[in-house]
Amino acid sequence: MIGAAATLAWNGFREARRNRVTVLVAAFAVALVMGAVLFTEATVSTLERVLTDLGLGSMSLMLTLLAIFLSSGLLSKEIERRTIFMVVSRPISRGMFLLARLAGNMLTLGVILLLMALLFIAELAIYQFPLHQSDFVAMSVLWVELLLLSSFGFLMSSFSSQIVSAVVTTGIYFAGHLSGEIYNLSQKSASGFLRGLGMAVYYVLPNLEKLNFRPHAAYALRVSSDEILRSVLSGLGYSAVLIGLAVLVFSSRDFK
Amino acid sequence: MNSPLPIETQQLTKTYRLGFWLHRKVRALQDLTLRIEPGQVYGLLGPNGAGKSTTIKILMDLVRATSGRARIFGLSPNDQMARRLVGFLPENPAPYEYLTGREFLGLAGRLAGLGGQELDLRIGEVLGMTQMTRASSLQIRRYSKGMIQRISLAQAIIHRPRLLILDEPTSGLDPIGRRDMRDLILSERERGTTVLFCTHIIPDVEALCDRVAVLVGGRLVREGSVQELVSGQVPVMELILEGISPETLQTLGVPLQSTQALGARQLVRTGDRESQQLIRKVLEQGGKVTQVQPARFSLEDLFLKTIEEAKQAAVGGQIV
Repeated sequence: MIGAAATLAWNGFREARRNRVTVLVAAFAVALVMGAVLFTEATVSTLERVLTDLGLGSMSLMLTLLAIFLSSGLLSKEIERRTIFMVVSRPISRGMFLLARLAGNMLTLGVILLLMALLFIAELAIYQFPLHQSDFVAMSVLWVELLLLSSFGFLMSSFSSQIVSAVVTTGIYFAGHLSGEIYNLSQKSASGFLRGLGMAVYYVLPNLEKLNFRPHAAYALRVSSDEILRSVLSGLGYSAVLIGLAVLVFSSRDFK
Repeated sequence: MNSPLPIETQQLTKTYRLGFWLHRKVRALQDLTLRIEPGQVYGLLGPNGAGKSTTIKILMDLVRATSGRARIFGLSPNDQMARRLVGFLPENPAPYEYLTGREFLGLAGRLAGLGGQELDLRIGEVLGMTQMTRASSLQIRRYSKGMIQRISLAQAIIHRPRLLILDEPTSGLDPIGRRDMRDLILSERERGTTVLFCTHIIPDVEALCDRVAVLVGGRLVREGSVQELVSGQVPVMELILEGISPETLQTLGVPLQSTQALGARQLVRTGDRESQQLIRKVLEQGGKVTQVQPARFSLEDLFLKTIEEAKQAAVGGQIV
């Protein structure tokens, strides 16, 4: 069973590697990280801050786009194209199939993240800037944010089309980063309904800002291990709930 | 104790819910009871929407039955042990097109529990059996429809299943591809594999099947061997008549199944008993009977007749 799941996960990675969109996005992301050097000529900020801001920002932007693209289309495309028929009819549970596909997705994102991180570290080394703890934390926790987004994309993709999944997951990305602001704004409203809605958004949606350590990295602020642990655990916990729901929906549906 | 049957279904029913609010129901299958014995090639025959693919999807756990029971070697279709014993070729198969044929078979084999040298050997064997060895290093996106059908069959047999379930295996194939597919099915039967396949191509059923079930509108309307089904029909006689007009024929008071003008002659089909009465009356009218022969009642005739009969009492495949 584990062997079959590993085979499927590896196949997912192979699929992404042979997908032109993934290759293009990865190439563009690498170019963006490398291009950060050019921006240093046109800024009044310190070189180190520009490199960190642009490097980590490019990683976040490109990998978020890729995570939404890959996760929202994966299951729905398998169902629409009927490639799923020849896989789920094999001795592997639907839950394991879904987990294996998610693992393949996260492996792809992890490899590209690693590649971009190595380039970013090389740039810092070339300019003889130190790699701060917060740089490392920001890059590592970004993977947890990508896992959370991918899990949401998978959940949507288990019962809806790629476009619907992509739109909703993108909405969740923005709402998740703005949930604190939405809460604060709503609490200033005179309407009880709006205040309740703001509170619901804050508590139901994932707080993606808790997984964002890029501002810490930009100012080279040390992040406490408690804070890292809380953020990672909340991200992993939220992802586990989404994956559980996705398995539930996917396992009970018909493939007509 | 008897070993469990490869396939057994009891009063299998499937109703799909459609629409945004899922309030529309379509009954795709109703009370289907089947028993398929080991080593048989069993055909599910029926027009589009008859419930053939739904039956197969329930057996492959792609669709869950609304009620009734399905068993594969005595196990539930969602039991992974059952799926280990089955090879499946879906209708219009869609293998991962970014893989080469060889990679796809590797994936299928590993998912079925094969590995190492055994898998490599088996990939070589099934590529040879399906005549896909030369194309095995090409990406599947470059394959023709026939090649996709062949590589999909190869993945279905890679783990030497005891039961093969094939959904429209010859659809879209050219005559050579169809013949090769038939040969492969027959060679699997020689090996002792039980085969269930569904089709609406009647010559395939006649050529391959030990037993046939005819489904119409989600219901089983006939079941038996081809011989049993055809010989169970009331014999029909074909007569060629001369010197008698179609209008006169209609006034003779003999029930006719069909009439067809062949120039000045009439080709008439009627029941065996009625044919003697018809000959007598034609002669009395001054006509001539130039030919009398029993009409060959084919599976196709039976199929068309069955569909006509079922239309009058259709219950399945309809909005309920």
